[in-house]
Amino acid sequence: MSDKVDFTTPPPLGGWLPGIKFTDRQTRVLNAFADELIPGGDGFPAPSEVNVIGFVARYVAPKGQVAKWFPFLAEEPFKAWLDRLGDPFVKLTSKERVEEIKAIEESEVDLFGRLRDTLYYAYYSRPEVVRAININLEAGRDYRYSPQPFGYSDNMREWDKVLLSRVRGTYKRTNEVVGVDLKEIAG
Amino acid sequence: MSAHTEADVLVIGAGAGGAAMCKRLSDGGVKVVCLEQGPWMHQLQHAHFYDAWEMERRRGWNWEPNVRQLPEDYPITGNAAPQMMNGVGGSTLHYAGAWPRFKPVDFRKGTEHGLEGTIDWPISYEELERYYAINDAEIGVARLVGDPGNPVSPEGWGSVCRGHLVGHKMASGFDKLGWHWWPAANSVLTKPKDNRLACNDCGFCLGGCPRGSISSTDVTYWPSALKNGVDLRINARVEQIDAKNGLATGATYVDRLTGERHEVRARVVVVAANSIGTPRLLLLSAQKGHPDGLANSNGLVGAHLMFHSWAFEDYWFDEPLEGFKGPEPGVLYCQEFYDTDPSRGFVNGFSLQVGTALGPANSALGTNTGHRAPWGAGHRRFFNDHFARHALVYVQGEDLPVRTNRVTLDKNVKDTSGLPAAHVHYVLPENDRKLIEFGRARGREAAEAAGGLIDYASTGVCAVNGPGPGWHIMGTCRMGNTPEDSVTNKYNQTWDVPNLFIADASSLTTGAAVNPTSTLQAVAVRCAEYIKHRHADILAQKKTPSNATAPGF
Repeated sequence: MSDKVDFTTPPPLGGWLPGIKFTDRQTRVLNAFADELIPGGDGFPAPSEVNVIGFVARYVAPKGQVAKWFPFLAEEPFKAWLDRLGDPFVKLTSKERVEEIKAIEESEVDLFGRLRDTLYYAYYSRPEVVRAININLEAGRDYRYSPQPFGYSDNMREWDKVLLSRVRGTYKRTNEVVGVDLKEIAG
Repeated sequence: MSAHTEADVLVIGAGAGGAAMCKRLSDGGVKVVCLEQGPWMHQLQHAHFYDAWEMERRRGWNWEPNVRQLPEDYPITGNAAPQMMNGVGGSTLHYAGAWPRFKPVDFRKGTEHGLEGTIDWPISYEELERYYAINDAEIGVARLVGDPGNPVSPEGWGSVCRGHLVGHKMASGFDKLGWHWWPAANSVLTKPKDNRLACNDCGFCLGGCPRGSISSTDVTYWPSALKNGVDLRINARVEQIDAKNGLATGATYVDRLTGERHEVRARVVVVAANSIGTPRLLLLSAQKGHPDGLANSNGLVGAHLMFHSWAFEDYWFDEPLEGFKGPEPGVLYCQEFYDTDPSRGFVNGFSLQVGTALGPANSALGTNTGHRAPWGAGHRRFFNDHFARHALVYVQGEDLPVRTNRVTLDKNVKDTSGLPAAHVHYVLPENDRKLIEFGRARGREAAEAAGGLIDYASTGVCAVNGPGPGWHIMGTCRMGNTPEDSVTNKYNQTWDVPNLFIADASSLTTGAAVNPTSTLQAVAVRCAEYIKHRHADILAQKKTPSNATAPGF
């Protein structure tokens, strides 16, 4: 168990509103990073087109809050990290950025994993991406933005009665229970 | 300390067992006080309406108290990560709601093999059957009657949950192999009941249920219990169960919000704080006459911890299965390999329980097995091939009760009230590892028989390469046959303290190979009926009777 476990306050559901403010440069860096992780195309928008940053901003612990819940990103060090990448990262070619991100993936394993996961969560929560799933994927045509309030009862298949009619099975009654030969197991 | 309160029965814990206990006792006019260290959960505190609903499961809706770190939680140290909730409803606030029953053979595992610490239950399936039925009727169950692999169960409150495409796919696989399968019973409403809405198949069961469709006890037992006059005290963290002259006299608790201490005195005390919390509290209650903790003269409080043995198997197919719809954890189950067959090289058996997945983020992040969509150029193709084309098989095995798998206290770590943390030690026995490996191969066989399998991933045998899931926490104050083999007699009455009862999953003697909540609640209902009917006898007892001499119903 982590030494940092602290049970004094609950996490804010939905993140911290209104979310931290990124500078223009930090925004450019984060968008460029996200666009390489989840490239747009084939009917899907790029992360930078759908405001993944607005999602991330709510889940970075603002200054004064302890980053004790996933994604464990605190405002000041995270912003400093983005600033270190800075505009040089943005100005790289896509191929060069991919190499740079691979290097980060290897050298900053934990941070990279948390940021990747957060960006995946952010991207696939965007209404534009949900719409792309509905349009482009047969398996996702009914998928909705959130589980509630609608659910999916309007389009659920019943059990197949033919399959059910063929089910076979049995069970051991209480008076049928006897000792098994453990020698067979030991062997 | 404030003036004390008097009650006929004090119940500690407002979860699956405690709520059933409070309601059934108060139906009979018993004056009950219930202490719960957590608060009420409001339905708008669920994540189902939020854009980050998938991610919230890794934050405040995480199953592990050490991760979510809510104020009502307490730390747990050790080599496993038990999953639980604290609050009115307990872990039913955040549970699968899969509603199988133990089978008759599960109550006779001592006779069958007796390996490790396995003993027979002191009761049979037949003795528990009517309490399963009472509990089912109280809470509302969705069930299809007619499973040939289990004893007959009564009709549910509503029709069985629909299996949709995932159900059809995996049922087809089991069917082709000629194996048993049946649509899963779930403690889910498929038609409204009281003030609860019917399930609308939103697919996010394991995030709790804002509709009240899943039978968590905050919406099942508690409204009636409160109407009956049960004095439920929330944010009430018990420090110690008090005892004098060999009997429990009540408990002392601290109000987590004010820091004030209170005392409740009662003629009977029932502990239902789950299989971690109950032994923790009994061990915390070491006092004069009980130097090793209450009910622990034989050293078995906290021992025989069971979690079930597990592997999660993700299968992806070449067709849409829409697993974001319908009951997430319990679509159908196969119990073809439930009974012991020594030729397999292990005792006990397993269920193959079919579940679904969540939304697109969960799919991109590896579903249940970490099989993650790569970032970069390969992302789109992987995602498009995998999203909503998936079925999950939980290989859920019975784990042996091992004396050294246990809950103790960690005095180096404290909760916010200054009480020592629980410490957990759990090692999966070799028998159970073999069992799960065998089960993984059967799951794969079924997926291949279903046809169109395009990809596969597995957690491997949980608890071998790392701590396993601690979803189903059982057995740490088990009921048994003698004061030497258990913590309680067949009526959940502790051997050491006749007016102290255990009524949660810690009382389960063995864990079977199915989800345990229906059984733990049936046991709690039975215990409540016993306390009601034999209240005068219990109060007259200075020594806990044996199973043979207890007055019975």
